[in-house]
Amino acid sequence: MTYPPGNPYGGQPGPGGNPYGQPQPGYGQPPPGYGQPSPGYGQPPPGYGQPQPGYGGPPQPAASPTGTTLNPRTLPDDDNVNPYVFCVSLNGDWFMSKGAMLAYYGDVRFEAVTEYSSVQGWVAARFSSPVYVQDWVVATGHGKVLIGDRGFDLNSYDLDDGNLTIKAGNLCAFSPQLELKQSIVPGFVTLIGTGKFIASSNGPVIFVEPPFRADPEALLGWADCPSPSVHHDAQWMTQNIRAMISGALGRASGEERQYDFTGTGTILLQSSEVAREDPAVLRLVESQTQLLTDSQAGSLGQRLIARAQQQH
Amino acid sequence: MPFEEVNSKVVRARVSPASPVLARRGAMLGYSGQVTFRPVHGQGRGIGGFAGAALSGESNPMMATEGQGEVLYGYKGLHVTVLELDGGAPLVCEADRLLVHDAGLQTSVQFLGSGGIKQAIGGAMTGQGLFTTNVHGRGSVALLSHGGAFPLQLNGTQVGVDPQAYVGHVGQLTVDLAAKVGLRDVVGRGSGEAFQLRIGGYGTVYVQASEQKF
Repeated sequence: MTYPPGNPYGGQPGPGGNPYGQPQPGYGQPPPGYGQPSPGYGQPPPGYGQPQPGYGGPPQPAASPTGTTLNPRTLPDDDNVNPYVFCVSLNGDWFMSKGAMLAYYGDVRFEAVTEYSSVQGWVAARFSSPVYVQDWVVATGHGKVLIGDRGFDLNSYDLDDGNLTIKAGNLCAFSPQLELKQSIVPGFVTLIGTGKFIASSNGPVIFVEPPFRADPEALLGWADCPSPSVHHDAQWMTQNIRAMISGALGRASGEERQYDFTGTGTILLQSSEVAREDPAVLRLVESQTQLLTDSQAGSLGQRLIARAQQQH
Repeated sequence: MPFEEVNSKVVRARVSPASPVLARRGAMLGYSGQVTFRPVHGQGRGIGGFAGAALSGESNPMMATEGQGEVLYGYKGLHVTVLELDGGAPLVCEADRLLVHDAGLQTSVQFLGSGGIKQAIGGAMTGQGLFTTNVHGRGSVALLSHGGAFPLQLNGTQVGVDPQAYVGHVGQLTVDLAAKVGLRDVVGRGSGEAFQLRIGGYGTVYVQASEQKF
């Protein structure tokens, strides 16, 4: 069960081959260069996943002509139906995030990863993240599964013996040839191996190369880079008195903090999204509190209570 | 230095010591080069500057971006429209729609109620606010909108715009609020379009493809 690597980026290029579609006449005043990713942003290095270029901009879905009614035969195989919906041609097993499935054709069952792994021993080896295991299901059977996420743009990425780290909340599905591991950076997971995965982004994905500093909320993921370090803008801290006071209390505005990437690789960015509550973060942080001594845990608890009361 | 639209939701600004930019706080997505960020308070200088901003609530926390490098800006996945101001008529919009603009541009707060008490009340009723921000000078501005903004050219004609869909305008335009409140609206069975902005004159009105406020 492999996916043909021949034309992995979708057979329906957008009009004019323009990866982001063409703005509709009269839409804004796009300056020259709009829609054409500039050098260094739109060109990921070969050898690792590229998002599907086969979709038009939001005003103009290209892959599916409007007015056409799709059925199991006309639905695309492992390709975007429109910028926001992806169709997985299922023949075996796929991992899917809970709530990503919109609809399906055929004989497909969805089982919790926790239950399925007791039947199929290989599942536990592929999904080595106890923190996220509750939020995922295994789709098994034959058919076509349509997936979507909050109306965000969906992209499919093909990994060829590679690794890509992505924000856990934006990962929608991945083929079981890939291995999922928890990243050291909280809220991110790493996919390793050869296979396909689907991830969402708010607006098209922007590719940049290090050295680069990214806002944590806008960071979608990275490939082949060393893990980022945290950079604090000292000038910001000294100039913003309010941030300094809150910083003294253990909290900062967040604006002075960026993830710093060095070395070689590619960084994936999106327009910053309204953060979705990631239930795994609580479990992650909670598991880290085992590092604390009893008295440290007590003072942390008091600080958390004070914070919760402040917000009411 | 004009901003480059990377896609419909992200713009890239090239910053140099000669051309810093002012951006909404929290809108920086990432940067390369030697760039620093500095919080700034208030809204420009002069009459209607800091004092006006404090009074009206028509101010958003902004930050100055200085140094040498390239910075990406975007905010909460909202669409971005880049406008070039030629130094003629100012851009009129609400402060929270300003994503990023050249630091050389001046912003000031305008009291909409100067047109009379009727207009002031109208502002309060539509959620349009009693105050709006004027952006003067020559340079680039990136505006936020929900669902993308499109321009309507006016050549002495008049157009009606839903107050929630109104983004801003440039040119010699007059903005009036037209209220057609009937009995049906009072009992909650109106068309939902009781309030409209009547805009007339010569210039460009920007309207977003959504009635969602932010």
